[in-house]
Amino acid sequence: MKYILMMNTMRAGHGVPEWPQKDLRTHIAFMMALNKELRESGELVSAEGLSFPEQARLVRAGKNGDPVTDGVFPESKEFLAGYWIVDVDSAERAYAIAAKASAAPGPGGAPLNMPIEVRPIMSGPPPEML
Amino acid sequence: MKYILLMSGTSAGVEAYHAWPKEDIEAHMAVLWRINQDLTESGEFVATQGLAGPREAKVVRGEKNGVPVTDGIFPESKEFLLGYWIVDVPNAERAYAIAGRISAASTNIPIEVRQFATHETKS
Repeated sequence: MKYILMMNTMRAGHGVPEWPQKDLRTHIAFMMALNKELRESGELVSAEGLSFPEQARLVRAGKNGDPVTDGVFPESKEFLAGYWIVDVDSAERAYAIAAKASAAPGPGGAPLNMPIEVRPIMSGPPPEML
Repeated sequence: MKYILLMSGTSAGVEAYHAWPKEDIEAHMAVLWRINQDLTESGEFVATQGLAGPREAKVVRGEKNGVPVTDGIFPESKEFLLGYWIVDVPNAERAYAIAGRISAASTNIPIEVRQFATHETKS
């Protein structure tokens, strides 16, 4: 079963680049070790970090089909900072991986314990809609 | 350059969608399939996924002893990710154009477009 593990963050709280270099390095090393572990166990499907919200745009189709972009996000909006897709035997295993990612070290090396949203991935649209 | 196109919505929006006439849902799915096919043919397609609804979602935090703490409560009004497309395109404008097509096929709902953080993908 495939699950997506989403790391959401508030715009105001995304100050990761302002962490001391040492703490940032520890955090990245932890994430790389976690990905390596998941790759070795054959559970990692993909993992990506996303650019910061300043580079994000909201796009809608205009009347003639041309894209209309908008870069304004409310300060309080939650942003997807990154995600993992894992292929695991049970939801419990997905939660265990999410807990590991949640406890990634932050400033001073203390565990961040950030919330990670875990959702099953649909293998395709429901058959009655095809 | 890789971009992710995120489609988000609320529970109310999903319920309204399920109440659409069958032929409208079929037409909507057909356009989305067509977009995926076009992207595959142009070599821009990387991945697309629809996600299960928020009732099946859990929020997990790590505890001091590493045991996961799960929480399944989401406020009704919360926006959640319905699905996404990952595309590999020469520039942001092309990503916006694809997002515009998806939006037009989906009652003009806004699609969030974000570039992948390149330093993370090199690992």
